[in-house]
Amino acid sequence: MTTVRVPPAASAARTGVVARPRGSRVPWLLVGLAVLVVSLLLALVVGPASVAGPAPITPGDVLASAWHHVSAWLAERGLPVAVAENPLSRVRDAIIWEGRAPRAVAAVLVGAGLALCGVVLQAATRNPLADPYLLGISSGAALGAVAVLVLGVAVPLPVAAFAGAVLALLATLGLAGIGGRLTATRAVLAGVAVGQAAAAGVSFVIFSTAQGDSYRDILGWLMGTFGAVSWSSVLIAAVAVVVLGGALLGFGRTLDAFSFGDVAATALGVHVVRTRWLLLVLSALLTGALVSVSGAIGFVGLTVPHVVRLLLGPGRSGNAAVARTSAAVGGVFLLWADTVARTAFAPLDVPVGVLTALLGAPVFAILLMRSRRRGEA
Amino acid sequence: MSAPSLLRAPAGAHPLRPRAASLVVAAALLLAGCAGGGDAAGPTEAAPSPGADGGYPVTVDNCGTEVTLEAPPERIVTVKSSTTELVLALGAADRLVGAAFLDGPFPPDLAEAGADVPILSERAPSAEVVLAAEPDLVFAGWESHFAADTIGDRAELADLGVATYVAPAACQGDGYRPDPLTFDDVFAHVLEAGELLGAREEAAALVEEQRAALAEVEPSTAGLTALWYSSGSDTPFVGGGSGAPQMIMDAVGLENIAADIDAGWGSIGWETVAAAEPDVVVLVDSAWNTAEHKIEVLESNPVTAALPAVAEGRYLVVEFAATEAGVRNVDAVASLAQQLAEVPLP
Repeated sequence: MTTVRVPPAASAARTGVVARPRGSRVPWLLVGLAVLVVSLLLALVVGPASVAGPAPITPGDVLASAWHHVSAWLAERGLPVAVAENPLSRVRDAIIWEGRAPRAVAAVLVGAGLALCGVVLQAATRNPLADPYLLGISSGAALGAVAVLVLGVAVPLPVAAFAGAVLALLATLGLAGIGGRLTATRAVLAGVAVGQAAAAGVSFVIFSTAQGDSYRDILGWLMGTFGAVSWSSVLIAAVAVVVLGGALLGFGRTLDAFSFGDVAATALGVHVVRTRWLLLVLSALLTGALVSVSGAIGFVGLTVPHVVRLLLGPGRSGNAAVARTSAAVGGVFLLWADTVARTAFAPLDVPVGVLTALLGAPVFAILLMRSRRRGEA
Repeated sequence: MSAPSLLRAPAGAHPLRPRAASLVVAAALLLAGCAGGGDAAGPTEAAPSPGADGGYPVTVDNCGTEVTLEAPPERIVTVKSSTTELVLALGAADRLVGAAFLDGPFPPDLAEAGADVPILSERAPSAEVVLAAEPDLVFAGWESHFAADTIGDRAELADLGVATYVAPAACQGDGYRPDPLTFDDVFAHVLEAGELLGAREEAAALVEEQRAALAEVEPSTAGLTALWYSSGSDTPFVGGGSGAPQMIMDAVGLENIAADIDAGWGSIGWETVAAAEPDVVVLVDSAWNTAEHKIEVLESNPVTAALPAVAEGRYLVVEFAATEAGVRNVDAVASLAQQLAEVPLP
């Protein structure tokens, strides 16, 4: 951060806002981890099966059952541990460890990945409205999933959704790259075109084949839900977030350079076009993998980076810090959103994307008003 | 289900964020359009007593719209299986000039009568397709079929001389939505349709026959609980507490695990399903989501795979077309009761 200064800091200096000196070192990593662990534990112990039914699952049951699994695992490895009894029946055990647990972990991973992609795409395209679905990815994934669901193509759904996302990405990049450099504007416009085409395809398939309650299966892909998440989908999300997300995190300074414009970035030694291709492809692959797990969940990737920039303040608005923090905030946020979605309206299970949009839209409006008051664009 | 809304939605979305938003809008519109199928039933007004002229003119209050027929309809168009099958069961096949948006094949006892019915549209029909058949009565399964962007506004159709009638069980308005739907509602619906169609005697005989068939079914007294699994795989769409699924399960003697959903159908989480540990699962079989597919979903989801009902295959199957209020509900009860007797129970 010595050679590259970011615009928010500059504009803050212009408007006379002085960055707070960060003398007191708050152990943010520890605080974040603590919040995450508490949120995960909470998500594990709340749910319809804990309030209804003949034998509601208490937090104590969850802990005892966790100890049962841990002790059994240790004993299997020859350690001198007495295997504790599991207070939960087979079905109830599955509710916790095959239902709530993978669902909570997947929500954290998807939220982190989407928020991270949001930061990267907003910087790489210099467009504050950019989100992970910028390149037509969500519509492409939905088209892939809908094609399988409705037309009966014999491909597993997540694979179809991922294939749809990648095809949309290729179409967008192909379109953006035709007859010119891959500029930020061209990428955004091409993404809009491909996204619209894929969305029209989805609508057409749904409409032309809609029968009875067949649309029910499609809703989850369009609005996003963790309703059918299993450990194998967690694995997909985890690999994607660790590998692709990890790679994206390494581009913090390059993204800072992008924010000055292509000419300045080139002067700073960034190979603009090649790097933009790489960033777009990496985030699109990550988004495609996440969409294949949860469907398209809106507003997380769009809103969280803006909230985080506001929280961090102008003094720490380098993209690396924003990206790391956004991933953490996005993960915890989506975990809470999903926990509310599956408990607050019980017995109804609301698609989590409905909730994120419900929360995201007013947050975004507040952000807009604040930025206007501060005299920013 | 409204076609134009669906197609319009993406185009009308904001250009900057059109993708996810437009899909959600499309889905929401679709959902709204389809909702009519679910929550069934509303009280139906008694029609005037028959006179020498066969009771005409007949006026009924149908979901809040006054429908008057001066004479028996001669050119009937039906939308959805439930309405088509009712017209066939009332012996009016010769006056049926078209049917649209059928959920599946006719049941065996109506197959012959329905063999020559022209199918106007596999899916939700447009106004032009329906009007081209020059109907004097359009009998639709859902209220949403009569909207400006589907078959047409009811008042406008009336101006064209086309009477409209919605299966009363599908009325959504307060005071018209049957809550809960009962077999008395279904039979009253058959009688009312009989009056409109000029088939009072046939309707009375049909209700008589159905009441007798229903009385023959001995509801299970084993106190078994059941999941009515209609559609969906991420989030199951199940029979709730006030529609045809609840009515059918009541008659079979099954306790609905989702009875506290105050609607005909609703989306619940798999956790809710597993927590209730249903003794049996009623699988709704349809061309778009078969019973086999549902079994695959239940067996591949680790939460539901642990359920004894799934592990031991305690499944009952019912056809989708029999799960909306209509003349097939009694048969569905009889069939489910018979299947229940054959399923290995806990």
